[in-house]
Amino acid sequence: MNPVPDIPPSETISATRWFLRGMAGALAVPGFVLVATFVGFGGLLHDVGFPIGAGLLSTVLVWALPAQVILVGGIGAGAPLPAVALAVCLSGVRLLPMVVSLMPLMRGPRPRLFHEILCAHFVAVTMWVEALRLLPKVPPVGRPAYTIGLGTGLTVMSTGGTAFGYYLTNALPGPLAVALLLLTPISFTILLVRNAKAPVDWLAIGLGAAISPLAVNSPGGLDLFWAGVGGGTLAFLIARYGFRRAT
Amino acid sequence: MSFIGTELGAALVVILVGFLPNEIWRLLGVLFGRRIDENGLWMQWVRAVATALLAAVVARLLLVPNGALIALPLWLRIAAVAAGIGGFVGFRRSVLAGVLTAEAVLIAGAWWLSVG
Repeated sequence: MNPVPDIPPSETISATRWFLRGMAGALAVPGFVLVATFVGFGGLLHDVGFPIGAGLLSTVLVWALPAQVILVGGIGAGAPLPAVALAVCLSGVRLLPMVVSLMPLMRGPRPRLFHEILCAHFVAVTMWVEALRLLPKVPPVGRPAYTIGLGTGLTVMSTGGTAFGYYLTNALPGPLAVALLLLTPISFTILLVRNAKAPVDWLAIGLGAAISPLAVNSPGGLDLFWAGVGGGTLAFLIARYGFRRAT
Repeated sequence: MSFIGTELGAALVVILVGFLPNEIWRLLGVLFGRRIDENGLWMQWVRAVATALLAAVVARLLLVPNGALIALPLWLRIAAVAAGIGGFVGFRRSVLAGVLTAEAVLIAGAWWLSVG
């Protein structure tokens, strides 16, 4: 399936058509992998007893699986809401550079603030990868509509996956139900490994993972905060000053 | 927890504790994107924190789970993730291959131990 056929760029293709082509563009392997991880998130929702309606709302509104897992997992573990909000906020930081780097590609020739905000809402890891792959083939006029279509397509598929996972957990035999719960951590692990390039990335992964279990019973439910800010800061400092001294 | 147990309460929590603190970064990216130096010191630190946080989330889900994953022994959870990384690296860095390898190891282990 080729969602962007070689039609000469022209103004005659309406925004609706670009929107629909964007939706069709969502039907690719990265989109299907994303849906599978949201099936896993649905299983997690069921596992911690989070209401399904609010869980689906989190897929549509938050649209960032790490933040959703922190939210649902944190509440499931009984962490206070301000601590959860802080951890969610910290996890969302990585969206900023993604939006910044993707915006010139999504914006189109006549930028409108509302369209930019809507396009930016859909930016997450899979969307970032797919937009970088697909948008250069779309003429600039069609890009905002194509982006919104692509994001809508991925969101609709993922919301369906979330509901599917929630109700599937009941029907699955034991080993498969557990396998569903592994989907989230394994896909995050692989994404971390895939995105890690510099020593600071590997240090941050190692320190974050090592501090997290040690800090589990830290007062105030701030364990993710300590592992994230503490581990990340330590990794940053070691990468910046430690290696320089060593060489 | 009783407040969160209702659909409406949980929806409010999703909006206030999930949506707003997360969406702020996308909004800042739109409004100030052109002025932010992506490779500045501040952004380098921020990226390190975000990476460590994600690793911490994974470690917590795997090492101290609070749901059905508890039924599996720790070594099996770790073996599945290690196999997933191996599958990812081995099969031309394919995310799908990594996920499938990890799942195969986990399901085989859970079935063999007849737990879950």
